[in-house]
Amino acid sequence: MKITKHNWILLLIVFTGISWIVADNRYFKPKPVAFKVPKGWPQPVYDFSKNPLTEEGIALGKKLFYDGRLSKDGNFSCGSCHQQFGAFNTYDHSLSHGYNNSLTTRNAPGLFNQAWQKEFMWDGGINHLDLQPLAPITAENEMAETITNVIAKLKADKEYRKLFKAAFGDETINTQRLGKAISQFVLQLVSSNSKYDRVKRGEASFILPEKLGYEIFQQKCVSCHTEPMFTDYSYRNTGLTLDPALKDQGRMRITNNPKDSLKFKVPSLRNVAVTFPFGHDGRFFSLMNVFEHYRKNMVVSSTTDSLLARKLALSNYEIGQLTAFLFTLTDSSFLKDPRFAPPGTGTNTNPPADIHQ
Amino acid sequence: MKKLCYFLYIALLPLTAFQLPERQQPPERNLRLVFHHQLGKELLETGKTVRNILGDSISIEKFKYYISNIILTNAAGKQVKLPAQYFLVDENEPASKIISLSIPDILISRIGFLLGVDSTRNVSGVQTGALDPMKGMFWTWNSGYIMAKLEGTAEALLTPGHRFTYHVGGFRMGMNTARYIELSLPPTNGSVQEIHITADINQWFKSASEINIAQTPVCHSPGGLAMKLADNYQTMFAIHSIR
Repeated sequence: MKITKHNWILLLIVFTGISWIVADNRYFKPKPVAFKVPKGWPQPVYDFSKNPLTEEGIALGKKLFYDGRLSKDGNFSCGSCHQQFGAFNTYDHSLSHGYNNSLTTRNAPGLFNQAWQKEFMWDGGINHLDLQPLAPITAENEMAETITNVIAKLKADKEYRKLFKAAFGDETINTQRLGKAISQFVLQLVSSNSKYDRVKRGEASFILPEKLGYEIFQQKCVSCHTEPMFTDYSYRNTGLTLDPALKDQGRMRITNNPKDSLKFKVPSLRNVAVTFPFGHDGRFFSLMNVFEHYRKNMVVSSTTDSLLARKLALSNYEIGQLTAFLFTLTDSSFLKDPRFAPPGTGTNTNPPADIHQ
Repeated sequence: MKKLCYFLYIALLPLTAFQLPERQQPPERNLRLVFHHQLGKELLETGKTVRNILGDSISIEKFKYYISNIILTNAAGKQVKLPAQYFLVDENEPASKIISLSIPDILISRIGFLLGVDSTRNVSGVQTGALDPMKGMFWTWNSGYIMAKLEGTAEALLTPGHRFTYHVGGFRMGMNTARYIELSLPPTNGSVQEIHITADINQWFKSASEINIAQTPVCHSPGGLAMKLADNYQTMFAIHSIR
């Protein structure tokens, strides 16, 4: 075949184009994902500029979240204690199950709206979302694995090498990328579509008990369970007595300050209907237990929150209306969102019928 | 054939165009910091039973600490802060006891550094390199670096395996265990290539306060004991020699 002058130029253009694409690497960059802040919500505190969300990063994070190999014996993934049908708490468990028949020290809280949270754990000991997975991975009574082993297992897996490259540009697998990838998935867990949210957006309206309950809530609960997150992220002593087996001093474990004795983070009340049992050690099995605690059983001590110095007066009528309101905080679309479901389980996110203790 | 070569040359030209050379900084020279670990006058030997300054019979197994935020000062008092770098000096990793630095060409009369990791790096998520939490110098349950570790055994201890473990960390106000250390170099006219620094473990046990191993064999969290140990290790460094 004789190459004409015309073909020469054509070939030159094609080759130049290919080499430009290869050299620039633009073609292989992960696809950015925008983080949507629900209307009327504050700006998130997570610094997305340090860990830009991408489709590949989120997919990798999800695989890691549901991978039991992050634990010592392969049995415990993040998802085994953070179950979607319980808004990512451990459904119906006061404490979760860890490696070698151990029990965790605290109740696994629901995971949602983490982009707005500055400190993690009931005592706020962890100061960055990317660091959070390292605590359960290395805890002897949770996943009981070492970071070194986790990284070695991931590096040995061809599929993970491919996924890390897709998410971060090269096959480097290290602790930082592990943390960032899991964060990318967890940051997606935004719960902002409960009936309460729809009422706020003008798309629905409360029935009478819900409306009355909301009014009572605003008088008696909102100073700590602040809207729209339903927590002010502070640490407070709500008159819980020290459990003699757990001996958990809460926030004081981190600050060493006796004034922080028995203080725990105010939990969000979003999805409260499915995140039972309640309290940092899951000692309350129902909302009724919680109301009884506040109006009757709490023990006021020197570090008890000043707002609860005379406990919290609640009539049976008020408890009824409050319960109706709190049920409007359940975000059923979040609980069934297939994007967050364990791989291979489709959209079946119902809790197991046979619930064991 | 000649045509083909010519064609390939043109086609591959754009590839090279994207490989821009990195800009070079103004001329710098090398400086090596060499750490010598000792117990009193004796060079540290891990696993060997020796007496510490308080007369306790001990054997050291692990000794490591972070060095960062290095500042050089010349005779006129002019300070040069080196770019942010973090080094984990580890008795069990001989190579880690020699730190190679690239520094501007100044006559050094004093050297300053932080034993530990500054608070910024304690609150900025997961770090890499020497600061990777995988290095075992990080508390996952109470975010923050272990600035220095000293572990060993002492026959007299009633702890499991007769072990004592000092993991000294904490960066929050009032509990900060990072310590800034400044050492003066002996006078010299030449340009210093190597600074040999001794770290005396005896200072951990007796300096600002006395640390009795039998009374406090374990430190695993920020707080009072960690602060005492930090005040003690602040004085462990001395200039051995310069070259």
